[in-house]
Amino acid sequence: MNLPVQDQETAVPQWEEELARVGFVRRLLRARKWYGADWWFVAISSVMVLAFIVVALFPQWFAPYGPHEQVGPRFLAPGETPDLPLLIVRADSGLSTLEDLATGPDDEVSRPPIAVLRGAPTAGALREQAALLDDELQESDSGLRLRPNIRRYDTVEEVLQAVQEGEAFAAVLSSVQYEEAAGQFPDLDAPSDISGGVASAGDFLLGTNQIGQDVYSRLIWGTRVALIIGFSASLVALFLGVPLGLVAGYAGGKIDRVMTVFMDSLYAFPGLILAIAITAVLGPSILNVIIAIAVLYIPTYYRIVRGQTLSVKQEVYVEAARSIGAKPSTILRRYIYPNVIPSVSIIFSVNIADAIITGAGLSFLGLGLPPSTADWGIDIARGQEFIQTAWWLVTFPGLAIMLVVLAFTMLGEGLTEILNPKLRDR
Amino acid sequence: MATSSDILYSVRNLTVEYETRHGVVKGVDNVSLDIRRGEILGLVGESGSGKSTLGKAMMRLRNGSARITSGELWFDGQNLMELSERQMRDLRGSRLGMVFQDPMTSLNPVQRIVEHLTETMLTHEPEWTEEEARARAEELVERLGIRRERVKDYPHQMSGGMRQRVMIALALALNCDLVIADEPTTSLDVIVEAKFLDLLKELRDEFNLTILLITHNIGVVAEVADRVAVMYAAKLVEIGDVNQVFEKPLHPYTEGLLKSVPNIELDSGALYKMEGSPPDLSSPPPGCRFHPRCPYMMEEVCPIYDPPFAPPEGASEDTRVACWLHHPHPQKVAIGA
Repeated sequence: MNLPVQDQETAVPQWEEELARVGFVRRLLRARKWYGADWWFVAISSVMVLAFIVVALFPQWFAPYGPHEQVGPRFLAPGETPDLPLLIVRADSGLSTLEDLATGPDDEVSRPPIAVLRGAPTAGALREQAALLDDELQESDSGLRLRPNIRRYDTVEEVLQAVQEGEAFAAVLSSVQYEEAAGQFPDLDAPSDISGGVASAGDFLLGTNQIGQDVYSRLIWGTRVALIIGFSASLVALFLGVPLGLVAGYAGGKIDRVMTVFMDSLYAFPGLILAIAITAVLGPSILNVIIAIAVLYIPTYYRIVRGQTLSVKQEVYVEAARSIGAKPSTILRRYIYPNVIPSVSIIFSVNIADAIITGAGLSFLGLGLPPSTADWGIDIARGQEFIQTAWWLVTFPGLAIMLVVLAFTMLGEGLTEILNPKLRDR
Repeated sequence: MATSSDILYSVRNLTVEYETRHGVVKGVDNVSLDIRRGEILGLVGESGSGKSTLGKAMMRLRNGSARITSGELWFDGQNLMELSERQMRDLRGSRLGMVFQDPMTSLNPVQRIVEHLTETMLTHEPEWTEEEARARAEELVERLGIRRERVKDYPHQMSGGMRQRVMIALALALNCDLVIADEPTTSLDVIVEAKFLDLLKELRDEFNLTILLITHNIGVVAEVADRVAVMYAAKLVEIGDVNQVFEKPLHPYTEGLLKSVPNIELDSGALYKMEGSPPDLSSPPPGCRFHPRCPYMMEEVCPIYDPPFAPPEGASEDTRVACWLHHPHPQKVAIGA
């Protein structure tokens, strides 16, 4: 054998030598060891996971609108100022909403003049909104009516001029039109849009979708659905898979063989297809999605627990337990189960991530969840036909799925690295 | 079969078989052994000679794929082979105790010491209260030289010696009659080992224990045992009083074992090394199983005829040996057979 002559002088640390021998990706992975990156993984991901859980528990704290509210114009891009019809009045008039223009029988002017731009859609919006308010006022028996006298002008300047000179009590212009001309009319003010809200840039942080729902709000509310599916499906799978694995591993023999064949065939079945089949049979509801995904992941727990049980069963302390006359049920409960469960808790986290992806996949395909649910998968499915014109409809739910899955996976993997000493030196 | 009152445990023609890929292997082959009340019986032999298999079989514990295929186990007047698994469970821990080889792995890592002890007690004495069991556990642990507070510790917080004492405490928790100690000192260092052996002797007197001490360390046996049984290739080859065996071993294998122990007084240079290695039990040699390694092997007899395990000529019933050197007229027996 020809051994290379070793250079005695260079004193390269062992780990640097090791690093030099491996490829880039592996180098990154190995470097984690020396920089304690696993702890960072766990710290960052647990903060993320906690944040997601808080958001899922209290979406109303974070979401400006409800999941089904149609609150704005359609297809508003992220950060874009909504082009709402604004109510423009003289700053000293004391009017702030359209409702303030309502008139009673005692008023001199029964039909307040309101200036609009000829041919602009704002006129229509004003008419609709005024009719709506008028109906409400009539129902409330206050004696007030709102029947604006709509006056049309040819330019934005003329409209504003009319308000400034008192020709009209107020004007309704789209915000873009108003902003262009606002500088010339310092006496005027736009206290609200005609629906009474105060519109400003950033109201729709991530834009709006094709029916005027706030993408950001739906994202926040969707967290709840995603985590419910992820947690419940994993928990159900855990509660079924762990006992089955324990029993099969401990009992061995025929029981073990039959159950393992069954579980393996379940495991070998392509995951999403099985879930599709189950939800298609059971019909759409969140419970059925949970059942379908749980069935998918039972074998994961079963296999891990069974394997661990087989090895723990051989431990001397189990034999010792038998030698002091412990019953099989006691041995399972007090000796095997507590020694098996740590590895389960680690895969649980990774499993939640998987379940969320599968859940999103199912609802993307239009299976499982009722179509109006605020769910990321559904949002992506609904947004995909507009992907060329409204990129934000699919991007943000997609990113949300990615972040949640990343957080849970990182947590699980980081914990595995830290808690499992057998992996540590790999 | 009737047992005389001073014999606590009697193994009769016990055979234990293992299923292996290469067929059935007899881990214990037709072994008979009496353990007397209150004695410490040392069972020595090389690794793989079947000592542990015998020890576990005596508690009817399965060791891997081992199966008791024939024989009787008489414990205090009842044949354990006739008991149901349930009755056997009641016996284990309350009357038959076991101490395992490696104290590092023989305690449940996720249970506190006190839980180990109280669980044993409450399994067999369900009418005891938790507090009674706890108090007794603390008392017991203190008797064995571990501070009372330490019962709340987990096994990994204790040293090997302490854990081994906890294992003994488990056997003592319900005053077991017989403790089978399977290489209890193998993983302990010599000082801890010596202390542990002293403790074993003390406890024997105090709790009126009977101990089967399984070990490959002949020095340990010399120190504590009253009688010695030597096992070779799944069979007993010699049994006798400890002084007699050590002074005048009858079986050549025992002789070899004793000579292989380093002795600082007899500076004989190189250590004696027994020729050959133990046989493969899936196809043991015919006749006496030790004959391929035996310096006194007799061509006409030993490779052909299996020697009986019986008292040698002119000796008392207490001593038994399986060697043609000590049985009358092996040639005649051979020819007669």
